[in-house]
Amino acid sequence: MKESDARLGRSESPIGGRFYWLVGGIFTVFAIFALRLFQLQIVEGSDLRARSQRNSVRTLRLEAARGEIMDREGRVLATTRPAYDVAVIPNEVHGRDVTYVALAQLLEKPRAEVDERVAGWRGRERFQPQVVAADLSEEFLARVESHRFALPGVVTAVRPLREYPLAEVTAHVLGSIGEVNAQELTQPEFAAYAAGETIGKSGLEAVLEADLRGRAGGRNVVVDVAGREVDVIDEVEPRRGRTLVLTLDLDLQRAAAEAFAAQKQAENEVVAGALVALDPRTGDVLALASFPSYDPNLFAGGIQPDAWRTLVEDPERPLQNRALMGQYPPGSTYKALVAAAALQEAVITPEARLFCPGSYTLGRRTYRCWKKEGHGSIDLHQALVQSCDVYFYQLGMKLGIDRLALYARGFGLGRLSGIDLEPERPGLVPTSRWKLRRHGEPWQKGETVSASIGQGYNLLTPLQLAVAYAAIANGGHRVVPRLVERVEELDGRAARTLRPAEGGTVPVAPAHLERVARALGGVVQEPHGTGWRARVSGVAVAGKTGTAQVVRLERTADMNEDEIPRRYRDHAWFAAFAPLAAPEIVVVALVEHGGHGGSAAAPIVQRVLMRYFEKRARAVAEDADPRSGERG
Amino acid sequence: MFRIDRRLLQSFDWFLLALVALLLAVGFANLWSATYAGVESGLPWPVRRQLFALALGGVGMLSVLFADYRHFERLTLPFYLGVLVLLGITLLLAPVTRGNRSWLVLGTLRFQPSELAKLALVLCLARFFYRNPPQHIHRLRDLAWPALFIAAPVGLIVLQRDMGVALLLLFVGATYFLLVRIPLRAWIPVVVAALFALAGAWRFALRPYQRSRILDVLDPARDPLASGYQALQSRIAVGSGGLFGQGYLEGTQTQLRFLPTQHTDFIFSVLAEEWGFIGCLVVLAVYLILLVWGLLIARSSKDGFGALLAVGVVGMFFWPAAINIAMVLGLAPVIGVPLPLFSYGGSSLLVSFLALGLLFNVSMRRYVF
Repeated sequence: MKESDARLGRSESPIGGRFYWLVGGIFTVFAIFALRLFQLQIVEGSDLRARSQRNSVRTLRLEAARGEIMDREGRVLATTRPAYDVAVIPNEVHGRDVTYVALAQLLEKPRAEVDERVAGWRGRERFQPQVVAADLSEEFLARVESHRFALPGVVTAVRPLREYPLAEVTAHVLGSIGEVNAQELTQPEFAAYAAGETIGKSGLEAVLEADLRGRAGGRNVVVDVAGREVDVIDEVEPRRGRTLVLTLDLDLQRAAAEAFAAQKQAENEVVAGALVALDPRTGDVLALASFPSYDPNLFAGGIQPDAWRTLVEDPERPLQNRALMGQYPPGSTYKALVAAAALQEAVITPEARLFCPGSYTLGRRTYRCWKKEGHGSIDLHQALVQSCDVYFYQLGMKLGIDRLALYARGFGLGRLSGIDLEPERPGLVPTSRWKLRRHGEPWQKGETVSASIGQGYNLLTPLQLAVAYAAIANGGHRVVPRLVERVEELDGRAARTLRPAEGGTVPVAPAHLERVARALGGVVQEPHGTGWRARVSGVAVAGKTGTAQVVRLERTADMNEDEIPRRYRDHAWFAAFAPLAAPEIVVVALVEHGGHGGSAAAPIVQRVLMRYFEKRARAVAEDADPRSGERG
Repeated sequence: MFRIDRRLLQSFDWFLLALVALLLAVGFANLWSATYAGVESGLPWPVRRQLFALALGGVGMLSVLFADYRHFERLTLPFYLGVLVLLGITLLLAPVTRGNRSWLVLGTLRFQPSELAKLALVLCLARFFYRNPPQHIHRLRDLAWPALFIAAPVGLIVLQRDMGVALLLLFVGATYFLLVRIPLRAWIPVVVAALFALAGAWRFALRPYQRSRILDVLDPARDPLASGYQALQSRIAVGSGGLFGQGYLEGTQTQLRFLPTQHTDFIFSVLAEEWGFIGCLVVLAVYLILLVWGLLIARSSKDGFGALLAVGVVGMFFWPAAINIAMVLGLAPVIGVPLPLFSYGGSSLLVSFLALGLLFNVSMRRYVF
């Protein structure tokens, strides 16, 4: 030690003059750190704090259940039920083989399917639930739940799923739902919607979207770096949408479906058509159906692409609501309107007889009556009962096309009915001006002849015909059909009641309408009536058959109906109301290519009427019983 | 010599002990916060292991403390050579852990010999410069031996692929070069050579991820999801601390583990997030005082070897702290260098305590002569 001390010299420290230099260096570095901390924590502090929150706070949407839809008697037509999915969080699985094999056994699925759904998830996805089985039945759910603690990483999740218990039966009224698409999101009415949200796409689901939607809730959660929920900050419960109570009577709706199904079975072919039942006093829609139908439940969880393609490419177009969108010539059902117009315009009296030799000649053309041998001398009542074409050719010629059109419009044809359902087509009431504008040619007299028995340019929807017949039945009120009776809040309070709208008055005196109605009663009740297939025992039914030509009469006139290929066959109509004295229900049925209205459409109408009056009789009996009980 | 007399006890550096105790207390509280999330009962395992290392370090420090440091001079070379052999063995035997071979595993004990290399290098260089006083070194060539002493362990650690520690060792060794009296212009060729070496390293030695990390410092938004992820999350954590911090155990970046190596390399960002600007300044100030206190010990030591040892110990604390904090604050690339007394890491804590033992030793014996 002495030796080294001597060498160094005590006064001469190896640090010596470098001390302040070193201290200065250290100070400088720490000062830089302090400045940088000031920059990050004070200057950029709030900005970086916000980023840190964005890192860790997520807002999860809690979807609201859509409102329920019920028929007039409170039976559920559309509801929202919880659907249970089983998912796997790959990162939390202990022992893949054991877990996946067990899960496959519980779900009775092949192991490969479970593997396929879960495998391949890397990175952050392995912390997120991967759905292995969607919408489990209660039995499977119970199985999985009871084994969950033995299977870490397996979770069950619940989501609201729209359900239509009646499926095809109510499809066209209720419509369907689907995910809001990019184009819809740009529209102002969907401004408050988020991508991926469910909206009504058609039917009442779309029309009353605002009521049915409800209000989505939300949950702010703290997530860790893996996206796992660590903590819940706050939560707003979702609120279910409002309940719709419809005017529809599920029993009649079912009866219509059964009637068309029976027809289909008899024909052994797809039967396309539509049925509308109205209460002529209020315009309440008691039944509204279009065939063929589809199962809207297919859309509820997001429709599979091939199922969608099948529906869209089906030549029978099951998605179209024929009751509002199908436009057909009215055929002989139009005669009731022509009769009313002729009486009002006094071009004929009820007692006046016109002669039917079996055909009517105008210029060089001959127009046949459906009865080749002719009806002979015939009055208005019998002309309607027997559906004499020649009688109405003459009435039409007396009225002229433009006067006819005026009355047709008065009955609600050629314009939207105003029903609370979309979309609807207006049909067509031809006039001479229309022809000139549309075709650039003047109206031909022969065209009036065709128009007066509901052929030619005339087009209407089954719903419009129901409105027109309701006006005959109720003494001249043009009802506005309504499907929704009221919208209820969750507590049952009515958010609003939709009163029957006033549609206007038909420009025909009630007495004339009553005379036409009586004749329509004869169509069903009298021996020569063409509508006898719509008879309901104990009830006076009034109605009219109709046969709308699809191809010109001449080609098929001599053929037996069964020999004609279905697509060339005429459309069959039947429009009816009952009871004749005080009508409560109007039913219109259309069967595309059904042939003659009396044979194809009348039985369908009969079935619905029968169901209606059976129910009414039961209700009357039930009303009577307690009273007798009180007396006793 | 091994007798502890009253005079020694009287001159024990209680202030230094207080500084170390303060930093340790904050460091442990901070480590707890960084690791307790998800632990249901008892201590988080890093805290448990760190406490074990602390106990071991305490014993080590005391044993270094009682023997007069001047005896260590004779043991310096064998110790240095022994560490080189250990590094060689590690290179041959160690399993690959996170891309490098720097761990020796003995049963449940794992040790990083590269940490010990810092101490060995400091002792070795202190001995050299004690014999060749730096104030008398005026020529570059007189630094040939110390350069070799530095290069040997650095080279071995580079071969272990632990670039952070290799760089650190280089800086710690170079601390002594700050004391020599070689004119600045003589350094020019060295600087030029170093620049060429850096360019060469960039081109040939650095792996792509290392290059990315360096580029990320220049442009933090370059690749925020991959190579820049840690640095970005670290900056977010530090910044979200604000003036007063989010509160102890309340930092979301920390508790939700947005920082991948928060209990080791990014421990300072935990402190910054939860204690804010004020807390950081306090810790930096205590750290600064510790370093300056070390230099004061060096200056006041009547013995050249002691003074040089004290400078080396200051270097052993200054460089890792500077590199680590610069990295956390986004001023330096992401380099795996622990923050002494804060980062989780038993080897680091143990060696820090041995170094502090030397400092205490020098401090309490500065009036002896």
